[in-house]
Amino acid sequence: MKIKMSTLITGFVFLFAVFLAGCGEQEKPTQASKAPEKAAEQQEASTAEKRLKAGFIYVGPVGDYGWSHAHDLGKRHVESLYPWLETVIVESVAEADALRIMDRLVQQQKCDVIFTTSFGYMDNTVKAAEKYPDTKFMHCSGFKRTANLGTYFGDLYQMYYLNGMMAGALTQSNKLGYVAAFPIPELIRHINAYALGAKAVNPDATVDVKWIYAWYGPDKAKEAAEALIAEGCDALAFTEDTPAVVEVGQAHCKKGKQIYTFSHYSPMQAYGEDSVVSGQRMDWGGMYAEILKDVHEGTWDPSRDIWWLAKEKAAILGGSPDHAINPKFIAPLKQAMINTEQYGDISAYDLVMKRYEQMKQGVDVFDPFMGPVSDNKGESKIKEGERASKEDLLSMMYYVDNVKGEIPNSN
Amino acid sequence: MIRIITSDRYNITPLRSFMTNIAALGAGILAISLIFLAAGVNPLYAVCQIFIESFGSIYGIKETITKAIPLILIGAGLTLAFRAKFWNIGAEGQLLMGAVFATWTAQHLGPALPPALIVPLIFTAGFIGGALWGIIPAILKIKYAINEVITTLMLNYICAEFLTMLIVGPWKGKTRFGFPGTDPLPDSAILGVLPGSRIHYVTLILAIICSVGLCVLIYKTRFGYEARVVGENPDAGKYAGIDFLKTSLILMAVSGGLAGLAGVGEVAGIHHYLGYPASVSSGYGFTAIIVAWLAKLNPLFAIASGLFFAGIIVGGDAIQISLGLPAATVEIVNGILLIFLIMGDYFLYNKIQICRSRA
Repeated sequence: MKIKMSTLITGFVFLFAVFLAGCGEQEKPTQASKAPEKAAEQQEASTAEKRLKAGFIYVGPVGDYGWSHAHDLGKRHVESLYPWLETVIVESVAEADALRIMDRLVQQQKCDVIFTTSFGYMDNTVKAAEKYPDTKFMHCSGFKRTANLGTYFGDLYQMYYLNGMMAGALTQSNKLGYVAAFPIPELIRHINAYALGAKAVNPDATVDVKWIYAWYGPDKAKEAAEALIAEGCDALAFTEDTPAVVEVGQAHCKKGKQIYTFSHYSPMQAYGEDSVVSGQRMDWGGMYAEILKDVHEGTWDPSRDIWWLAKEKAAILGGSPDHAINPKFIAPLKQAMINTEQYGDISAYDLVMKRYEQMKQGVDVFDPFMGPVSDNKGESKIKEGERASKEDLLSMMYYVDNVKGEIPNSN
Repeated sequence: MIRIITSDRYNITPLRSFMTNIAALGAGILAISLIFLAAGVNPLYAVCQIFIESFGSIYGIKETITKAIPLILIGAGLTLAFRAKFWNIGAEGQLLMGAVFATWTAQHLGPALPPALIVPLIFTAGFIGGALWGIIPAILKIKYAINEVITTLMLNYICAEFLTMLIVGPWKGKTRFGFPGTDPLPDSAILGVLPGSRIHYVTLILAIICSVGLCVLIYKTRFGYEARVVGENPDAGKYAGIDFLKTSLILMAVSGGLAGLAGVGEVAGIHHYLGYPASVSSGYGFTAIIVAWLAKLNPLFAIASGLFFAGIIVGGDAIQISLGLPAATVEIVNGILLIFLIMGDYFLYNKIQICRSRA
């Protein structure tokens, strides 16, 4: 018996139609069951307080274990906190597509607030805010604000300073390394804070920097970390959205060579129990909670720049949710004695904890960028007794004196 | 006993070709449905959502057309190269090079010239940029017999790194606070859009003209005939005295040039500045390979297949926003559709018979 091609196709199309029809039937009961639910929801909304819908746009996948992951944790926090809040997320949104996604979130999802969580979305967020004056926009890490567009950011430079202190106290080679994503002011600020922290406990410590030109680039980060170790660095901090550097440190520790690493953004100590000393963590939850509460209560003010640090509990010290410092390294840090003008002889551990407490009280109590600070070409940048202003921090494009090399293309 | 007999099929009609594609798409959607089913989403609802989002509303259609512009331009250009069996995998790089040339032209000549002059200039510059990047592998292939799949693919990376070097280095804008990227293009070089949309119509018109023009070039001119002979029967081409170098250079200049035009459209029509390679193009150079293939290497059909794939990309938003599935699902959907389309070709060129033989 011969079956012709056309018969096959017809049969196939028929099967497909049956399949679709089957699905269609499946659809009906679910829709029916949804309908009363929706009615109940609406009733609830009219009787209870007004509801809010917030859209979150992430630049990476939520599983990146760095930036987008941290934002998503913040989103989950507010979701469980506020019963009147509904959220929708869109991940891995290229800058080129951001405007289209915002259009959708406003037009179709009817979001009241939209959070765009990457610097690269700035111009598109400004355009969207112009287009939809009734929707509130919050752009993370940017600097453009309008009547319905605010900005918010949590910065980690203080934590890098504390990490630098620990690195400076623990290093054997006096050479510290930093695997860095892109030469932008934020990163320069973090590298400088790390170097200044190291200098505060160890005047001989210097910092080498390797640029990988990627926020998400585990392969490049691994390579850069290996290169720094080969050049003699034994303490590594980094800015990259995966635990790649921590894993390199752990691998060397397993082979008997102690490499100290500092976890970035998410708690990465689990990836390197023998290597991770401490790290920087960011809690966006508190910030999102406050912003959404303001929006809900009508007290939202987009002209206010939200810039949260240790004082607001946005920046947190530690590489795991349980410890600020890996217990394994507490003893060596307690043994490392430092002679300071302010406190006389004090252990590195006590000094770190003291500084952390002071940071929590506010930048006017202690801040890493207190003068005198000069760049690595000998020019004075922050005068004695002065503190870098926020504008200085946001446009920082020089290396402090114990960072080696030059910022690429800093023309 | 059941046996499957395959034999070559000679009577390939356009209708059969069309029906095979439809059947392949249907089978692909069926396979995708299984994935949706596994993720706990009603497949009919999911597939409907994808097409409603892209073609079911004015807004969706506008976005679909915006996305289709680069896909049509590049896809049409690729049909010419693929006709001659020149496997140009480097459209992404050619697009970026076009964007680089256009940005340079706009930044240096834009402030002094009116839009009527600068817009044709940046498109010319973009075409030249893409064409130059396209003819390098053509020379390497014809003169030194170096595989063009490798060279075009690798030139993508070289171009992406070159662009990155420019935007973190000498071209870094003063208005970008140290972030990589050029300053915005001068206003005169920014392409107009249809009101209420992001459709930069100059590029759209250009894309349609190019598709029609290429169709004439391939089917009605001596050059088109030579290009097809080079692809289908190179030995016959050699005996007939076709200049392989000249033919390859022209077809890669056109193919690369059209990708370059797409780059101009993206930079001057959408972004208005030159940023990271990934933000200039979201992989259009690669998606366009599927577009050319779905168009059966006919540049005119590339308009339809470009719109179709743009629809899938735009409709892909639904996968995340309405269905709450991860972003990677969109890529999976695209990949599965391509595999089924290619598998469909097998049934087009081969006759399959299932026989029950009495042993």
